[in-house]
Amino acid sequence: MKKESNTVQPSATPVRSAPGVLKNPYIRYILFGVVICLLPLLANSGIMPSSFVVNLGSVLIYSIVALGLNLLLGYSGLISLGTAGFMGLGAYISGYLTDSVGTPFIVALLVAVIIAAFIGVLVGFVSLRVAGIYLAIATLCVSEILRKTFEELDQFTNGFSGLTASYPKLFGVSLSREMTFVLLAVVLVLVMMLTHNLVNGQMGRALHAMRGSEVAAQAMGIYLLKYRLIVFAIATAYAALGGALYMHFVKFSYPSIWTMMLSLNILAVVVIGGLRSIYGTVIGALIVFAVPDLLLKRIPVIGKIDGIAYIFTGVLIILVVMFYPNGVVGLCNDIKKLFTRGKKKGGASDV
Amino acid sequence: MSTFIQVVLRSLETGGVYALAALGIIIIFRTSNITHFAQGSMGMFNTYVVATLVAGLKLPLWMATVCGLCTAVLLGCLVDFFIIRRAKKVSPIAKQIITLGLIMVFVGLAPMFFGVDPLSLPRFIESGELNLGGAYLTYNGLFNILLGIILMVILFYVLQKTKMGIAIRTTASNEPVARLMGVPTKNVTLFAWALAACLGCLSGVMIAPTTSVTPNVMDSVQVNALIACVLGGFQTFYGPVLGAYIIAIGTNLLTLYVSSVWGGQLMYLLVLLFIVFRTQGLVGKKLIKKV
Repeated sequence: MKKESNTVQPSATPVRSAPGVLKNPYIRYILFGVVICLLPLLANSGIMPSSFVVNLGSVLIYSIVALGLNLLLGYSGLISLGTAGFMGLGAYISGYLTDSVGTPFIVALLVAVIIAAFIGVLVGFVSLRVAGIYLAIATLCVSEILRKTFEELDQFTNGFSGLTASYPKLFGVSLSREMTFVLLAVVLVLVMMLTHNLVNGQMGRALHAMRGSEVAAQAMGIYLLKYRLIVFAIATAYAALGGALYMHFVKFSYPSIWTMMLSLNILAVVVIGGLRSIYGTVIGALIVFAVPDLLLKRIPVIGKIDGIAYIFTGVLIILVVMFYPNGVVGLCNDIKKLFTRGKKKGGASDV
Repeated sequence: MSTFIQVVLRSLETGGVYALAALGIIIIFRTSNITHFAQGSMGMFNTYVVATLVAGLKLPLWMATVCGLCTAVLLGCLVDFFIIRRAKKVSPIAKQIITLGLIMVFVGLAPMFFGVDPLSLPRFIESGELNLGGAYLTYNGLFNILLGIILMVILFYVLQKTKMGIAIRTTASNEPVARLMGVPTKNVTLFAWALAACLGCLSGVMIAPTTSVTPNVMDSVQVNALIACVLGGFQTFYGPVLGAYIIAIGTNLLTLYVSSVWGGQLMYLLVLLFIVFRTQGLVGKKLIKKV
């Protein structure tokens, strides 16, 4: 196990037919980020309504959060319903620090992430003792405790009336909405690269082994405690990072945002997009958080129905879990396979 | 002392509501091996049915509740027939996610059918108070406490003594073997889903008069019922009921004597600590993992 950890994993680059530069996964992540950064330009030139920028920006934020949950749910098989609580924690800490204490944006972001990661480690300890169904409810319990704290601790959180914040200030420059959007894209690309490295390295293999069988993994010399704590710390850190960015992009936060429904929505992102897929998570976020607002509400009759967004996501979750466990990303691969099989005239026999 | 009695009596009322919801969850868990996260949302949907019948058609509450129970049976059967039965081969975690999807479907369907305005639901007994040594209890509260206890007694009688109860318990202990022995497990799960939906509906009707009927009327019931199941352990039917009453009484006493702000959070923290040290819950047996 340890000898292998220094070598680079060849499986990290799945596409073989792409030209040389595109083979590098990092360059593909950066290209993806550049494409996202161009979206506000579309809005400025009038091709796309400028309100879309806010929607797409929150898609980026939720993608960051969902990548953390994907580490838990997809790679480690641990179900967590506490995402919204940790997101709220990040939002309130960074909002309070920048607004009332006056710390710089980056410091506030770091403090939020570190505090959340610390609580994540504590939850990790719980997860060692409490497995399966109990864990989901235990994390739900943590999230409820956090949400009630947001309501009651009103000298920090401003209670039910909500906390407001401004766009982030980076190195003395106040960012505009478009610049904040670019910042979100940069953070997302960094998070995607970090996640890519994590899951393709030693830790990824350890998590795969743990998901298959904890006992077998332990027998192979994998130290469960270490990886459980790391994976929970990272997942909560991502959630807090997303929350802090949300605070400075959407600019307000109420206790009623950080409920179980949000945790469910983020879970839906991971399930619909595809477990154990980085791009899938972003696609999932687009489907869950953008499609209802941007597309469904514009369809004449269906768009008028209240609660159509929830029905859409809920039905999609059930359908994907029952009939398409690989998620939407699996759909892309299957279509690709269908075409290559057609070329080979049914020659492909791999399972 | 009289405040203490009053708080305990109030807690018995909310505890009964949590216990009914928790019983629904545990029956589903034992027969279908699914953690039923949508218990609260299904209850919410049926409570909407009851509230709409009362407000729109001016039906008396008891008649509306009977209608609500009918839709609950229908809904439970539909969910089992169209979704759960077809998801047998799905992994246990994915099954949980299905019920999480169900929550979203019901939260979305409720405003579609019943509109976005919150509805109000009357109490079973509108007025009157009982004086018990200085502590006051409304007749409606007494009715709710008694209804909860009577329902649970009937349920435990059914589970222990009748043929259906034996079928449920056999399915719960080992589904494939029960099927081999000729137990109609499909009908058992169908019955379990209908029963759970009814229990959810009743707990909704009991809790709704204290607030208004909105899509998140059952959120706290749902969370507390789940935590009650964890506290009581998933292995027995009476554990969650015990857990539900402990949570209701504990929360209210902590709010009264320790801190009015932090009582609820403290109770959850205590439960969390408890299950860390005793993973199988209050009365559960420790499951031994086979390798």
